[in-house]
Amino acid sequence: MEATVLPSEEEEEEERKNRFSINDDVDLLIEILERLDGRSLGVAACVCRLWSSVCRRDSVWEALCNRHVAGGGGGPGTRSVVAALGGYRRLYRLCVGPALDRLTGGPGRSGWASAATAAHLSLSLSLSLSLFSIDCYERLDGPQASLLFLCKPVNVP
Amino acid sequence: MLSSGTGKMTAREEEQDGGVDELLAALGYKVRSSDMADVALKLEQLEMAMGSSAAQDDAFLSHLASDTVHYNPSDLSTWLESMLSELNTPPPPLPSASIPNHQSNHLDLPPVPAAAAPASMLDPAECSTVTTVDLPTPRRQSEYDLKSIPSAVTAGSGRIVYGPEPPVELNARDRKRMRTSSSSSSSSRGGIGVGVVGVGGMGPSMPSATEASSMVAGPAAGALPVVVVDSQEAGIRLVHTLMACAEAVQQENLKAADALVKQISVLAISQGGAMRKVAGYFAEALARRIYRVHPQQDCSLDSAFSDMLQMHFYESCPYLKFAHFTANQAILEAFAGCRRVHVIDFGMKQGMQWPALMQALALRPGGPPSFRLTGIGPPQPDNTDALQQVGWKLAQFADTIHVDFQYRGYVANSLADLEPCMLGAEGAAGGNNGGDEEPEAVAVNSVLELHRLLARPGALEKVLITVRAVRPRIVTVVEQEANHNAGSFLERFTEALHYYSTMFDSLEGGCTAAAAAAAEVTAGGGQQDRVMSEVYLGRQICNVVACEGAERTERHETLGQWLGRMTRSGFEPVHLGSNAFKQAGMLLALFAGGDGYRVEEKDGCLTLGWHTRPLIATSAWRVAGVGDALSAAR
Repeated sequence: MEATVLPSEEEEEEERKNRFSINDDVDLLIEILERLDGRSLGVAACVCRLWSSVCRRDSVWEALCNRHVAGGGGGPGTRSVVAALGGYRRLYRLCVGPALDRLTGGPGRSGWASAATAAHLSLSLSLSLSLFSIDCYERLDGPQASLLFLCKPVNVP
Repeated sequence: MLSSGTGKMTAREEEQDGGVDELLAALGYKVRSSDMADVALKLEQLEMAMGSSAAQDDAFLSHLASDTVHYNPSDLSTWLESMLSELNTPPPPLPSASIPNHQSNHLDLPPVPAAAAPASMLDPAECSTVTTVDLPTPRRQSEYDLKSIPSAVTAGSGRIVYGPEPPVELNARDRKRMRTSSSSSSSSRGGIGVGVVGVGGMGPSMPSATEASSMVAGPAAGALPVVVVDSQEAGIRLVHTLMACAEAVQQENLKAADALVKQISVLAISQGGAMRKVAGYFAEALARRIYRVHPQQDCSLDSAFSDMLQMHFYESCPYLKFAHFTANQAILEAFAGCRRVHVIDFGMKQGMQWPALMQALALRPGGPPSFRLTGIGPPQPDNTDALQQVGWKLAQFADTIHVDFQYRGYVANSLADLEPCMLGAEGAAGGNNGGDEEPEAVAVNSVLELHRLLARPGALEKVLITVRAVRPRIVTVVEQEANHNAGSFLERFTEALHYYSTMFDSLEGGCTAAAAAAAEVTAGGGQQDRVMSEVYLGRQICNVVACEGAERTERHETLGQWLGRMTRSGFEPVHLGSNAFKQAGMLLALFAGGDGYRVEEKDGCLTLGWHTRPLIATSAWRVAGVGDALSAAR
């Protein structure tokens, strides 16, 4: 973060050369943001365009979900399935986040407090994914009407 | 409502001047019309004595129920005399407690009224309330009604006005009518009679006071102090009326039943929330039964419509989600290690159970198996192929998560029409594939489908034979946990009243689901889900109460009964693991109002209920004796 502004201009000039901006090192930024809770990530996404694009990365949300899931999340297979179902950000928004809210007694608490308590909760991955897959299924459109003529019902006499 | 049939009644009464009151005689009670005032007075005194003593001393009531000798109540006057002399307590000026002593969310129904003869004494009198009130008199009747409400309702203020005070003003002609209605109003108000124990209020969100009586009072309100009826007390009266009506129907006393049904509708208005809706549905079902409306239920309604209703039920409360989740756990465990799996679903509907299973299979260590699904569904009247559409949607889903998927839909009027060859019995033995591939592991899944087969004798046995022929590794059965099939109509009615009251309570208590779809559901959507769920349940109520024979398809049976049926057909239970139990508990924690729901384990099966009452049960089965062979073959 930028240092506080000093009174004299020369010293300011010096300071500016030695300042470190977090935005210079995106990997470091990602490392830090990956440790935030859901609400803080939402807030962080409003800071600037760089932060917003980082917060949109699924890996950040994956880290968040895996922190709260028993067993630390599944293997690489899990990642591809979650990606197919809609991604970790959506998973958090629809399943993990509301579940955490429910288990910690409701949203509206400060980000820090809920992060601390939520760290001790672990949701079931299979449960979250089950609910997530139902959501994905519900969002699917039915078959295209043009293809329906291909379906022939089998009637039991 | 109150005025229908009164003209005829009053004329007949006048003819019977001096003889036995004809209305009560029709119901088995001999009371002389001239004695009516006396009888009314004694009934009030008796009720007062019993009501106050019940508040203070439960032992007294139970003494009355067990140790005393009860005379034949059909001669009301002498019976009352004997009761009063036994009690031997003068009616106190003020009762100390309200009649409903405890507020529970649960409805504690009285024991089957047939066993409590004096209690039923109250009900025929109630019936006469409705039929004898003439249009000019309701004002006076309600006047009397309002003043004689137990003062406990109005927080201890006011006094009980009993006895002859109002009737003194009436002329001789009205007096008899007045007596009849006054006796019934006082007796019906009493929630406690001999043999009735512990009746509680109903519905968690009951308003503390309603304007039921002031509605009746109408134009007379100006002259009266406005006293409101405690809705809890009206709730008790409502339950009693429901029970009385059912009993009348069972005894084929359709005149009484008709009057009581109308009374139910009036009383139901005074209630709020779950109680009103339940009473409404039961009243409608009773009316259908009484008037022999054919078809007893609107069976011409689309199966698409009932599917839609079930979808809303799925969204609004966790019962079906719980069922799917626990059944999937059992199927997943049974499929461990198999490379080819086949699921047969007896009630395909929208296929909501299968995405979660497919996802779980996809995440198995070792990758997903090839998944075959056979869906059974009823014929659609408008020729749309709902089964195939669901199949397509599931295929799309399977494609996104890269699970090899095959689907086949069967349209069948009844599960008993299925043959093992249709379900691919040869496939299980490896016949279809030339035997070079691994045989498929088969699971049969039935969610709320098997009980329908009980409407036709032999149908269930045939289906279970078919299931056995398919040689499934596991059969998952989800059924309502209630006995709505055995016993007399009255027993069935009582059971159903208890069950659906609890069900409606749970809808009130925990209406919006959390997680998954919750983000998409607005407040209005949640409301719609609940309303449609109530319609869904209402249709079941109608079927249980109004239909008989082959039309009555909602023949729910308890877990114990299914255990018997399955073991007799050659199946043995498979215990659902503790893992399933824990996950089910977690699922419920996600639901708003989730504190009311309870997951319980019973004989290796899981039940989900509201507070202390289990409402739905999941059980798993395998063909008896084959278990060892299968595990050896793995």
